[in-house]
Amino acid sequence: MEKTNSTSAQNKLRVERSLRVFAGVVIGVFLLWRMYNVLAVEQNFGADTWVRFGLSGLILGGMYALIAIGYTLVYGIMFMINFAHGEVMMLGAFGGFFTFEALRFLPAPSATNPGLNFLNAHPFISIGLAFAVGIFISAVSGYFLEKIAYRPLRKAPRLILLITAIGASIFLQNFAMLMFGPQRKNVINPDILDRSAGWTLIVSDKAVLIPYTGIFSLALSAFLMIGLYVLVQRTKLGRAMRSVAQDKNTAALMGVDVDDVISKTFIISGALAGAAGVMWGIHMGLVNHYTGFLPGIKAFTAAVMGGIGNIPGAMLGGMALGVIEAIGPAALGIDFQLKDVIAFSILVLVLIVRPSGILGEKLSEEKL
Amino acid sequence: MKRILLFTVLVLALLLAACGQAAATEPEACKAEFGCAVIKKGETIKVGYSGPMTGDYSQFGIDMSNAMKIAVTDFGDVQGWKVEMAIEDDGGGAEGGAAVANKLVSDPTFVAMAGHAFSGATAAAIPIYEKAGIPMMSPSATNPDLTTKGSKVFNRNAFTDTEQGIGAAKYIFEKLGVKKLALMHDGSDYGQGLAKVVEENFAAMGGEVVAFEAVTPGESDYSAPLAAVASKEPQALYFGGYNAEASVLVNQMEQAGLSGVIFFGGDGIYGKDFLAKVGANGEGVYSATLVPPGTDPILKFNQAYLDATGTEAGVLSAYTWNSYDAVGALIKAINSVAIAQGDVLYIPRGALVSAVRAMKDYQGIAGVITCKDNGECNASGPVFYIVKDGDWAPAE
Repeated sequence: MEKTNSTSAQNKLRVERSLRVFAGVVIGVFLLWRMYNVLAVEQNFGADTWVRFGLSGLILGGMYALIAIGYTLVYGIMFMINFAHGEVMMLGAFGGFFTFEALRFLPAPSATNPGLNFLNAHPFISIGLAFAVGIFISAVSGYFLEKIAYRPLRKAPRLILLITAIGASIFLQNFAMLMFGPQRKNVINPDILDRSAGWTLIVSDKAVLIPYTGIFSLALSAFLMIGLYVLVQRTKLGRAMRSVAQDKNTAALMGVDVDDVISKTFIISGALAGAAGVMWGIHMGLVNHYTGFLPGIKAFTAAVMGGIGNIPGAMLGGMALGVIEAIGPAALGIDFQLKDVIAFSILVLVLIVRPSGILGEKLSEEKL
Repeated sequence: MKRILLFTVLVLALLLAACGQAAATEPEACKAEFGCAVIKKGETIKVGYSGPMTGDYSQFGIDMSNAMKIAVTDFGDVQGWKVEMAIEDDGGGAEGGAAVANKLVSDPTFVAMAGHAFSGATAAAIPIYEKAGIPMMSPSATNPDLTTKGSKVFNRNAFTDTEQGIGAAKYIFEKLGVKKLALMHDGSDYGQGLAKVVEENFAAMGGEVVAFEAVTPGESDYSAPLAAVASKEPQALYFGGYNAEASVLVNQMEQAGLSGVIFFGGDGIYGKDFLAKVGANGEGVYSATLVPPGTDPILKFNQAYLDATGTEAGVLSAYTWNSYDAVGALIKAINSVAIAQGDVLYIPRGALVSAVRAMKDYQGIAGVITCKDNGECNASGPVFYIVKDGDWAPAE
């Protein structure tokens, strides 16, 4: 009897799986057909426009990826979704904004230009300072977020942590609104990072502007991601983090200070979010209390798409999501307001075919 | 037991008192539909306002309610009773609009509504005021549909989007000589409605509409939709929406390959706040608005506004003067129907609704208010402004 039961269960699983794959393939074929129509038949856009789409997608994707890593790191270690992560990024963006503001009003007269301010007199130092302040604020808020909101609930069911995280997110958002006011603030960059300055690329006889701010953000996020990868794979702290991710109790028995590792994980993910926040301010130019919310949700999506808990997966997911958002509506020939629909449809599609995400591994019993 | 008895007696006494009073002195006019608002000595007459007081669009709500408070200090006396503004936050959206309307109509001293501010919230609120017999005078809800549904209570002294859109299309086609126009909007009742009107009229005049794109409001990166628009090589870009999105678009136009393209916005982008967000990128941007030239009553109001708020009038939004007029007109209508009897002021609601609709030649600071049968009360049209040297200046 038992044997038949298990075979029928296996059969059921097999049917479900093939159904899923079938649904995935059907939707995939439909999307490809639609893309073919737009790209080859209708030919709405020239090559230069596609380059522009791709560029804006990559820049956005770089920032999504940085934030997504924060989600994935915390999930990998604590198996919780830190929904306040977007708000940590927003605090970092404010840190960068206020640093620029302070330096802009700091006079640094030179012989040729007596009206010069510090921001333009020493642009590299200013940018460095802005990142330092933003990263510091985010790292500190990440640390205290864990200490105050999550640590007392370490032993509680995971659902409670999730609710706490949402609560922390709402708290931080409103805190920032009351502190800094609800209006969007203009981030004024040093002149060398002027938002409409950049290299010009000629694609099919048309000039495509590659903004310095975009390239700067992309390069910096790539650098930080590589740095993080090295940290996790090559250092002692990284090894401790990986061991805690695998099994907290055994790691503790082997002499790893679990609380300390968790704290440091929050500091690292906060620092990355802070860097993303400052970049966001520099590239987009507007900051308010709501700045972190949407990117946070998007980055969470990216982390799930890439396989939550997996660091290269988060990077891949972030980049993919950014590019899909920028290219998707045009490639499918629909309205740009529907870009989120496309992004989330792709997410559903990925999850149908690979429930654990693109690079995600199968979750063990213990992690579930 | 004793307590229950006491309570019952009290309630009965109150009921008797209320009935007795009403039966004894209520004027004839209160027998009409909707009855009367009964304001006792010491109570205030409530005029409502509702708009976004928090969030991205909060400057509109804050600005308009400030102007209205000044109007109440200037005109707020109805036969010895004081008028008070009941200011609520609806966030601009439909859900908030309906919630605020329900809250306000539950107040028996609430008689008229100087709002709502946004078209979305207004559309949701109209049916609720319709049932309660509350006349409305919105200074800023400009969606054309609002006055086509046969509402008895809804009036506005804002110019409609249709009027503005036709004016804008004409200006772009004839004055600016643009032949290829791209349109963008934020998907809101206001923005999309406005963009549609411009699109239809521009095409009807013989111009070519090369793109019609929507953006998601509240985001800080619109480079992808802008690149799509740029590929169509328009000579001008018209945007239906508010300044939060417009400032992002204007800032990213050059990046996206739209340098040298004229940006033309609706009345939603006019104001000093837009200038602060776009800086030098804003040079040459057009906008429509009702802001009148500085006559004496306006200068006097501007001074009062500056004294009261510490901000110059018109910095936050373009609806300041209209808001002042809306409240002034409503109070005038209340004055014309209110009946004082001893210690009680009766305001017949049905008569007030008709009085507002019948408003004629009310001389406000921003223009004359004369209501048509459908509730359109603005007798003057839009004016076009352009950003010159970092400030709005009347366009040729």
